Amino acid sequence: MFLTVNGEKHEHSGDGTVAALLTELGATPDHTALTVNGELVFSRHWKTFKFNDGDTVEILTFVGGG
Amino acid sequence: MNDEQKSWRLGGHEFSSRLILGTGKFSDAATMIKAIEASGTELVTVALRRFNREKPGDDLCAPLAKLKNIRLMPNTSGAMNAKEAVRAAQLGRELSGSPFVKVEIHPNPHHLMPDAIETYLAAKELAADGFIVLPYIPADPVLAKKLEDAGCAAVMPLGSAIGSGGGLSTADMIRLIIRDSNIPVIVDAGLRAPSEAARAMEMGCAAVLVNSAIAAAGDPVAMARAFALGVETGYAARQAGLMPKSDMAVTTSPLTSFLR
Repeated sequence: MFLTVNGEKHEHSGDGTVAALLTELGATPDHTALTVNGELVFSRHWKTFKFNDGDTVEILTFVGGG
Repeated sequence: MNDEQKSWRLGGHEFSSRLILGTGKFSDAATMIKAIEASGTELVTVALRRFNREKPGDDLCAPLAKLKNIRLMPNTSGAMNAKEAVRAAQLGRELSGSPFVKVEIHPNPHHLMPDAIETYLAAKELAADGFIVLPYIPADPVLAKKLEDAGCAAVMPLGSAIGSGGGLSTADMIRLIIRDSNIPVIVDAGLRAPSEAARAMEMGCAAVLVNSAIAAAGDPVAMARAFALGVETGYAARQAGLMPKSDMAVTTSPLTSFLR
């Protein structure tokens, strides 16, 4: 399925779960927050959540800031 | 002075260090960690950005997780309005598990001055949602009081523009904020020298937030220690009670009974 991840087209070849996408991208789940189509998806819901074709996904992490 | 007198409370949480550190601009994570340790801080700010698979080293979660007794305060930098700041705060809380949030909304990249109206709207909403809200604000006593009434845990007026090293250019306004405030007042942004941190504490600030002055110093770790000493000195002086000012000279030696 095709997703837009952090502003770029991404072809996801996994099972559409958060874990599969994060593994595909090399992101660490514990260090990651997620929005899908603008809505926050809480990590406690990640196990049951499935992406749909065309979803816009933002994957966020902490960086240095004042 | 014992430790109990020195500690202070922020949103129901107790801190002994009165220095809050930003984590931006450090040359590398190892230097940042050493500076945090040298500063003795117990609260550090972090920013939320898109995961970058090309730069996994930008991820601060791993290095910060190694630190003990440090609380995270995600900021809302990058938000252009209240709505974006609220969403950033929610993401920050989800990722950090921390109730602290630094609300910062500065839509103009040239001066990075906080948007008072959007900041107020976001702070009010987040405080009602259970966050411990610390808004970064212009040094405006009226706004500071309204944010206190809106449920903020502290207010963080700027000393001068973010990253400018302009020092405590707003000292007179910060004094007015402190005089009327029932919540901690924390100078955030613009400090360059530990003496300025000491001055802010002498004026009655509860704490100071420093980032660029440490991260961009010649030796960030040594400067972190210097700021810790500056904050401690200023606080101790405030507790000691500064002598009254006089426009006239006041003798220290008796003027009478001089040897003739």
